[in-house]
Amino acid sequence: MKNTLLLSFLFLAFGSFSQTAQSVLDKINKKYAEIKDYTVDAKVTADIPMIKILPSNVKIYFKQKDKFKIESKGIVILPKQGFTELNNFLANKSKYTAVFGDSLVIRTVQTRLINIIPNESNGEIILAKIWVDQENMVIMRSQITTQTNGTVKIDYTYGDQLKKGLPSVMKFEIDVKKFKMPKSVASDINKSSKDPKKEKEKKRTKGTITITLSNYKVNTGLSDAVFKEKKK
Amino acid sequence: MLLKNTYNEFIKIVSKPRSYLGFGALTLLISIIIFAMKADGESIVSFVTASFEQTLSFNGKLVNGNLIAFIILQMLVVHIPLLVALVTGDLISGEAAMGTIRMLASKPISRTQIVLSKFIAGAIYTLLITIWLGVLSLLVSHWVFGSGDLIVLNSDGLVILPEADILWRFGLGFCVAYLALMTVATLSICLSAFAENSIGPIVATMAIIIVFTIIGTLDVTVFDTIKPYLFTTHMASWRSFFEDPIPYDDIIQSIIVLIVHIVVLIAITLYKFNKKDITS
Repeated sequence: MKNTLLLSFLFLAFGSFSQTAQSVLDKINKKYAEIKDYTVDAKVTADIPMIKILPSNVKIYFKQKDKFKIESKGIVILPKQGFTELNNFLANKSKYTAVFGDSLVIRTVQTRLINIIPNESNGEIILAKIWVDQENMVIMRSQITTQTNGTVKIDYTYGDQLKKGLPSVMKFEIDVKKFKMPKSVASDINKSSKDPKKEKEKKRTKGTITITLSNYKVNTGLSDAVFKEKKK
Repeated sequence: MLLKNTYNEFIKIVSKPRSYLGFGALTLLISIIIFAMKADGESIVSFVTASFEQTLSFNGKLVNGNLIAFIILQMLVVHIPLLVALVTGDLISGEAAMGTIRMLASKPISRTQIVLSKFIAGAIYTLLITIWLGVLSLLVSHWVFGSGDLIVLNSDGLVILPEADILWRFGLGFCVAYLALMTVATLSICLSAFAENSIGPIVATMAIIIVFTIIGTLDVTVFDTIKPYLFTTHMASWRSFFEDPIPYDDIIQSIIVLIVHIVVLIAITLYKFNKKDITS
């Protein structure tokens, strides 16, 4: 009886600690690899210091491994990175070392931090942190620090595509460096704003872009020709 | 009699070759700008968005007819006053230089009506120049580049206006730009009443515009009290229609300042012309 209890304890203990950070990432990668392509309708809402733009509707096309296209009728502002870079980086295990970090509850979901440290010092990504919902094997939050584009934090919310690991909302938090245009460039020579609201806005260095995704069409056999069209 | 004399004054403007200089110069300048934007518009726009391109990407048709029309307006609004003053600065002094002012004054029409008819004729010419600017910048730009959202750069940052929300802004913008040009026209007519030759009022008008513009540009507190009263401060208020939200209070204030300038300058012109000695 004692032996049975001991074995059961060892089995449970081994089971709970056997899941390494890399194995969690492998499961996420596997889930991601199953998505060969998708198209999705997106509503982009940007709240960026010194930029005023109304929400716009776009169509996003994606095909493995890194084909990505945005179709919009008007001008739309999107983060420079954050759509495919992380998944592509995670797919190549030899490029990084994954280490578990703290646990954190994100919007009532228990998550675990995985620190991803690149093995090469000259790569674009300096450090990536992802908070993973281990029950559904999806990324709930990511924070990527890059050489050229600063730090981008992304919060993911999932809806009907949870099983496939496709988010319904992506909220990007972006570092925007202080923006001050010379009067001569702006041709606004007689205007000097002393509005405290505008001055406060100018000092803000973080912006958010919220992308609400709906009407996913997954694995429809998207043609490469879709991505060959000249970007407008 | 006023209308008939206005018609005569307008015929005089139309019959002068210099009146077509403005239209010709506008056509040439706008053609050059459109050609340059067609050839290298993307890099000009990327110069504007460069500050953000590190973290953000701008998707969609950035270089379009609306942007080109805006750029043209922005570039030319500085130079069009010269084209207007070239014609309106000659309206009274030209008559004095040629000696026809005496003949004009001998007609059964009051001096006040003579000045008003010249002012109305000048206003019609300025309107035609503004319409020509609007037709060339909007229609030709849309024909060459197509339509699209407008990305506007001002001292507070970038404003991106949706395509459907632009045309009325241009319409109102042109109205305010016309009012600003009318102020320049009235100033040159006023200076023309003081002069006996054409060059003086034209050069003086441009000199006043340059001096006032420089005063408005200098971020020196000593000028802060006079800046709101300079008409040049309000000449670019057409741009305010491309802000979000639109600062209607500022625009109304600019319109009032410009109208006050026009009224005062007409009053000075009337006073001077009524007192003018045309016998010598």
